[in-house]
Amino acid sequence: MSSPIIIACLKWVAHPGEPHDERFAGASPADRAALELALQQAKELGGTVTAVTVGPPATETVLRDAVAAGADRAVRVDGPAAMLSSDVAAGIAGVAEGAAWVWCGDYSLDRGTGSVPAFLAAALGAQQALGVIDVQFAAPGPAARVTRRLDGGRREVLDVTGPAVVSVEGAVADLRRAGLGALRVATSASIDVVPLRSPARRLKAVVQPYRPRAMALAAPDGSPLERLRLLTDAAAATAARGETVTLAPPDAAARIVAALRGWGYLDS
Amino acid sequence: MTDVDVIVVGGGPAGSCAAITAARAGLDVVLIERGPFPGSKNMYGGVVYPRILDGLIPNWWEEAPVQRWVTRRSTMLLTPTQALTVDFRSQAWGAPPYNGATAYRPDWDHWLAGHAEAAGAQLITSTVVTGLLRAPSGAVTGVRTDRPDGDLTAKVVIACDGVNSFLAKEAGLYEHTDAKHFTLGVKETLALPKEVIDERFAVRDNHGVDIEILGGTGGVNGGGFLYTNLETLAIGVVLKLTKLGAQKARPEEIIAGLKRHPAIAPLVQDGELKEYSAHVIPEAGLTMMPKMIADGLLVAGDAAALCLAAGIWLEGVNFAMASGMYAGEAAAEAVRAGDLTAVGLAGYQRRLSDTFVLKDHRRLKRAPELVLSDRVQHLYPQMIANVAERMFRVDNPDPKPGLRRILAQERKRAGVRRRDLARDGWIGFRSFG
Ligand SMILES: Cc1cc2nc3c(=O)[nH]c(=O)nc-3n(C[C@H](O)[C@H](O)[C@H](O)COP(=O)(O)OP(=O)(O)OC[C@H]3O[C@@H](n4cnc5c(N)ncnc54)[C@H](O)[C@@H]3O)c2cc1C
Repeated sequence: MSSPIIIACLKWVAHPGEPHDERFAGASPADRAALELALQQAKELGGTVTAVTVGPPATETVLRDAVAAGADRAVRVDGPAAMLSSDVAAGIAGVAEGAAWVWCGDYSLDRGTGSVPAFLAAALGAQQALGVIDVQFAAPGPAARVTRRLDGGRREVLDVTGPAVVSVEGAVADLRRAGLGALRVATSASIDVVPLRSPARRLKAVVQPYRPRAMALAAPDGSPLERLRLLTDAAAATAARGETVTLAPPDAAARIVAALRGWGYLDS
Repeated sequence: MTDVDVIVVGGGPAGSCAAITAARAGLDVVLIERGPFPGSKNMYGGVVYPRILDGLIPNWWEEAPVQRWVTRRSTMLLTPTQALTVDFRSQAWGAPPYNGATAYRPDWDHWLAGHAEAAGAQLITSTVVTGLLRAPSGAVTGVRTDRPDGDLTAKVVIACDGVNSFLAKEAGLYEHTDAKHFTLGVKETLALPKEVIDERFAVRDNHGVDIEILGGTGGVNGGGFLYTNLETLAIGVVLKLTKLGAQKARPEEIIAGLKRHPAIAPLVQDGELKEYSAHVIPEAGLTMMPKMIADGLLVAGDAAALCLAAGIWLEGVNFAMASGMYAGEAAAEAVRAGDLTAVGLAGYQRRLSDTFVLKDHRRLKRAPELVLSDRVQHLYPQMIANVAERMFRVDNPDPKPGLRRILAQERKRAGVRRRDLARDGWIGFRSFG
């Protein structure tokens, strides 16, 4: 049996404080924690670590850092600097197929949407555990007990067995310091460059909230003052619409829908 | 068999230039810098004189990360209520091959290190050199770093680790260091729109101004500077450490005082504080210089106290670049000859002695002490400013007094003895004349 492949996803991104200066760019603490966990897990399982990033050649610096820290292989999925999360995930999925485990950071330095791991899990058909704040490896085999941070200070403990995509916060692990020899070798390490794969199913992006169409209404009759009252919905007009009722939830929902339909909001 | 031919410690101007010349000579060179990139941790006043690069990087001005070319150079003498300025402007300094330029150190050092890498040197960042590796004979054989598996051996180590070089100290090259040999430089970077800077300093395009200031340091011996970048000003003071300690003065308050001076306030008004930084300067020149060569080791730049700080001149970067260049060349010469002892590396000393690096230091040997002396700091500025004030004051119906009379009266009023004035004048003439 071939040794398991553990993937560490790294995003090279400009520092928010120095957005135009590449010298400050790099991976987020969360991505660095993901790489450290990948290295630890690979050691436990006797597997290998592949560091992956999606982007232009400048992003290879994070891969070289990963190789210096101990990654066995570095892959750059060739793509532009800014991409949709679903496209990034599709690019990584091309490299991560068949992997025992995929580690991602919970957020990048530019505080993106944090949605790449979810898209990636979907693309790989893998389990997912996102926003993880603690990882306990459960030998033997690729399995771990992870703790997720939920809203309102709650926690969720999950037993994850591979293949899985797990995104972690930066505090989960400190990336080990690369040795001097490894650092020197990494500067000339070879990096595999693969083309970007387009996502199997592109989700239609919601770019603006739903707005009902404008209704055409006949101009009201009456004196200018009456017309003004009617048009501005003042006094009588609003009173006619306001209604307080006490109903069971299903009936209340049906009543609201009926009212909205009556007012023309649900006509397409 | 060593890991590499040459290890250069420190990615400042000295280190990068050492790495460039050594790598261009075909040596296997590693340049180690503690910051995340060369220059990231470095500060200085802001004016660099890069003509030493003419041979190293032909037409360097076409690519160097310059803020403004200095075409106005002023020397300002301040008393609490007076200012006397000698202002020089040359349009020639705004065209190749230029003279001085303002530049940000993170840009300048990063650019120079890029040339070192292009020459074939391997740049290792975020790595601190923590000590020297030595052979039983005492010869330096490499360095220890703070990384795991962090030892690296080399035929020659070039220490360019800046002022207070602990590598030079560890090698026993500094016989004595004394706080009185150092000054503390503190600087504020103030943001202002380019048009405002252009208007206030009477410059256009990418031309800029270098103002060196004597006085205005709140009674602490030292000096000040004010330089123009494209959209920022660098204002700072250089303070004698021993006086600063004795007077329990706070450097940030001294800068604030300088910024409030009537001659300075209109220039810096509304500048938004972007950065505050401080660094020690090796001020004493020849008096404090260490031995710069040992078996397997060369020391360059501020690490060798080669910064020239002589009142109207505060030049360290050009001295660092030059000494670094020469150290790299000498290392290559020694490696080729297979003699890595101090004798084999002696080409370094020769190069320093034959060029401006030590010639300027020799000539200006007594200047730092003179400039920082109590008389030059506290008595002469007041005396000179008073002379100027009386020269230009119209006291009608009194007739204009003669200069000689004013001079004599003001010398007496300032409490300056004729003997001291003559002696200081002679030292000044020998140094600057
Ligand atoms: C306030 C102030 C104003 C100044 N103004 C001017 C000016 O206007 N013009 C001018 O020409 N000069 C000026 N100077 C002087 C000038 O800054 C120095 O002379 C010059 O920087 C010396 O260069 P260097 O390469 O020798 O040392 P540095 O510039 O100090 O570089 C040393 C490098 O070594 C690295 N380093 C140190 N220790 C280690 C270690 N153990 N391991 C790895 N890396 C290490 C540092 O991070 C740094 O990058 C000024 C200095 C000060 C403080």
